Amino acid sequence: MATIVILVVLAALVLWGVSVYNRIIQLENRYENAWSQIDVQLKRRADLVPNLVETVKGYATHERQLFEEIARSREAMINAKGVSESAEAANMMSAALGRLFALAEAYPELKANQNFMMLQEELAGIENKIAYARQFYNDAVLQYNNAIETVPGSFFAGPMGKTQAVFLEIPEQDRAVPSVSFGGAQGQPQA
Amino acid sequence: MTTAPSRLPDVFTDPASGQRINLLDYKARNMRLSWAMALLTAAILAALAYLLAQVTDIASTGFFVGSAVAIGGAQGLVGFFLSDKIALAAAGARKATAEDHRYLVNVTEAVAIGAGVPAPQVYVIDSPAPNAFATGRDPQRSSIAVTKGLLQLLDRQELEGVVAHEMAHIRNYDVRFMSMLVATVGAILVLRDLVMRWLYWGGVGSGSGRRRRSDRGGDGARGQGVMALLLIVLLVLAPLLATLLRLAVSRRREYLADAAAAYITRNPEGLARALEKIRDYRGPQLEVSEGVRHMFFVNPLAGQNAVDLMATHPPIQERIDRLRRM
Repeated sequence: MATIVILVVLAALVLWGVSVYNRIIQLENRYENAWSQIDVQLKRRADLVPNLVETVKGYATHERQLFEEIARSREAMINAKGVSESAEAANMMSAALGRLFALAEAYPELKANQNFMMLQEELAGIENKIAYARQFYNDAVLQYNNAIETVPGSFFAGPMGKTQAVFLEIPEQDRAVPSVSFGGAQGQPQA
Repeated sequence: MTTAPSRLPDVFTDPASGQRINLLDYKARNMRLSWAMALLTAAILAALAYLLAQVTDIASTGFFVGSAVAIGGAQGLVGFFLSDKIALAAAGARKATAEDHRYLVNVTEAVAIGAGVPAPQVYVIDSPAPNAFATGRDPQRSSIAVTKGLLQLLDRQELEGVVAHEMAHIRNYDVRFMSMLVATVGAILVLRDLVMRWLYWGGVGSGSGRRRRSDRGGDGARGQGVMALLLIVLLVLAPLLATLLRLAVSRRREYLADAAAAYITRNPEGLARALEKIRDYRGPQLEVSEGVRHMFFVNPLAGQNAVDLMATHPPIQERIDRLRRM
């Protein structure tokens, strides 16, 4: 009788341990997947940029410096490794694109260009998706961090080698405005 | 540590009951409610069957209850598998592509990312009345339809609010839950109609009923009269109660989806402004049949829901006030 009780208790403990372990892994996968959603949008944006620059060049010929800056940010974007480098490059690109769209205001013919209008909506849409993806990422990070910091997850996090994930700073900004930044100077994920 | 992801509440507190519902996951709650609803319906049907068996014979009881369950079940199955196609066709919705509705598709995809669901199919209804609805039995097979009037009337943030509201319905399986409710209410209605018609044609006093009464003698006859009365009362009340319950659930679901939309967009003001614009809209109304009216973002017949208890939607002003208080 006693052995049966002990076996049942042991089995329950093992099942409980497995469920806590699985929960941590699931939450970790969720936030990692959430980052890949941001990454997809950043790559799509980088793909659209050369097209945009070509269109703008036809109208605004003297803005060489800005075009170079955009090209550099795209380069940085493509070569970025990891969350913090990508976020930094994304910031740079957001700022440069923001200036480009502000500049377009001075060129009525450019603003009326069909291709430019299409690219403008597409890029504004991507900025918006990046903002939502970043928000979802932070939610996922919060859930993951809570899971590994609170009991019972905290007993498992150490042996599993799990440490806190970092948040992306969300600037208090208006989503309707096309230029969305990663929060400027404080934009890198902080520990 | 830096900013917390949100200052908005992720828990919806029902002012009426004080009940707290987690906005991120009321799907599980919906599932539990679905089961409770199924059990309740089964219990009502069983009670009706018992009373029927007292008044008539087993064969007719079997026929009545069997037909009601079969017809209700068929309704439920059709609702489960086809409701999205039926609803979209009934509303005259056309599929929107990234080419002809880039803006709407972009907004929908963005909100879907924020809500953590696959991007739904997007449809457009050719009507100047601002409205929208969501359909589909799970997030993998869902659609959102908006009217042209909505696209013209709202700015990006406001449209995001409306789309997020519909996304909340999708994420939490509200569509499935509501079609389940419609089916259960339907089964009870079918049973009532069948038995009422049968009683009208003199059911209790004739045929098998009379034979059984003579078998049992005087006491049995009186008991049978009471049973018949109970049966009629239950038959009249059950559909009414079920309908009121369905409407109450439908109204509360709108508040819940509003709160979830505010959480998804982190912007209750966008949705509040959208509701204000829709409230102040004066123009042609959207013409849809009664069966799909409860699905819409706001009641297509604005201003006509004078009787609060029978409304599928809460008053727009109350929805705006609740969003502003967040």
